[in-house]
Amino acid sequence: MFDKAATYDLFWDSAACEAVEESQRWILTAMQRYGHELVTMLWRILGNEQDVCDAYQTTFVHLAHRDGGQKPRRLKAYLFRTASNTAISILRRQMAEKKVLSNVAEAPSEAADPGRDFDTKYLAESLRRHLAQLPAHLQDVIMLRDLGELSYAEVARALGISVGTARVYRCKAVQLLAAWMKTGEE
Amino acid sequence: MRLLKRGEKRRSLVRQEAERNLCRKLRRRLEASLSRSLGPDAPWVQRHVAHCPRCRKRLADLGRVDWALRIIKSQPHSLDLLKRANSCAVRMLNHKLRDGARQRRLDEAGPEPALIERCRKYENVAVNVAACIAILFLTKAGLFSSFARARTEGHQAMKQYYATQAGQDLADDIFQG
Repeated sequence: MFDKAATYDLFWDSAACEAVEESQRWILTAMQRYGHELVTMLWRILGNEQDVCDAYQTTFVHLAHRDGGQKPRRLKAYLFRTASNTAISILRRQMAEKKVLSNVAEAPSEAADPGRDFDTKYLAESLRRHLAQLPAHLQDVIMLRDLGELSYAEVARALGISVGTARVYRCKAVQLLAAWMKTGEE
Repeated sequence: MRLLKRGEKRRSLVRQEAERNLCRKLRRRLEASLSRSLGPDAPWVQRHVAHCPRCRKRLADLGRVDWALRIIKSQPHSLDLLKRANSCAVRMLNHKLRDGARQRRLDEAGPEPALIERCRKYENVAVNVAACIAILFLTKAGLFSSFARARTEGHQAMKQYYATQAGQDLADDIFQG
């Protein structure tokens, strides 16, 4: 569906695109090429369409202003890392706001409820909450591998680590998430 | 000779590609076989888990993460999300790039006097030039020649008047110059 729509240029606001300077056209090409995958990853991380749009535009603004508008050598890796970092920042900010607004004391009892395991919304939210708290190196791997659906080789190239290290980091991230989601501790 | 070399080169490329494909296939099979024999679905793991509550608990915890990831992956977003995200990004990109140029100009700009103050030193020159242009324009329009003609005609009328009133000789004397 998405591919078909993209082929017929249904996702493009052509009038707005024409206004972009000639020297920055490669950004539009990148948007056209990786846009769908980026939006999917951002949607999985954030779960809110407005936040997805915000993170997406922040990613491309970062790209446009990087080194005076120079195209990065590994464009895909740069885009995915920037997008995942931006999404994590948004997620952390939301969590901090929620913490201030809600009654924190009730949270552990909610997490301990076994019936919650069948609540898909709760599980997704819980995973997102805990993803934001992972150490950066583990977080990058699980974001790019599981939510961005990049191969281990691509993840390793993007993060500048070996494929084996990427696998180990993912394994550690899943173990940590499992422990946190079990106890509900933060 | 050249054709033969080209054919050989092509054959070697095809051979290399076939070897690479075989490697890929082998790796995939190895991974699948490893996950079958060592993964959580392996029969010996299942047998152990059935009798070990600690492992069962750990496996359940890992399964919960796996399930949550699957839930997140399966949640659909609206069909026009990509279009909206693209529009927002392009709009923001235009805005930022335009503002960036403006900002650079503002950063480089220093304090400058107003335009009138800057032009005050050319005031006299500008007035003289304007006067010259006006004179030229009036000359071009034939105003000065009209003045001269009016003066000559007035002179002749006065001479005529004096000639009729005081005589021709006196009129000639008065208007001699």
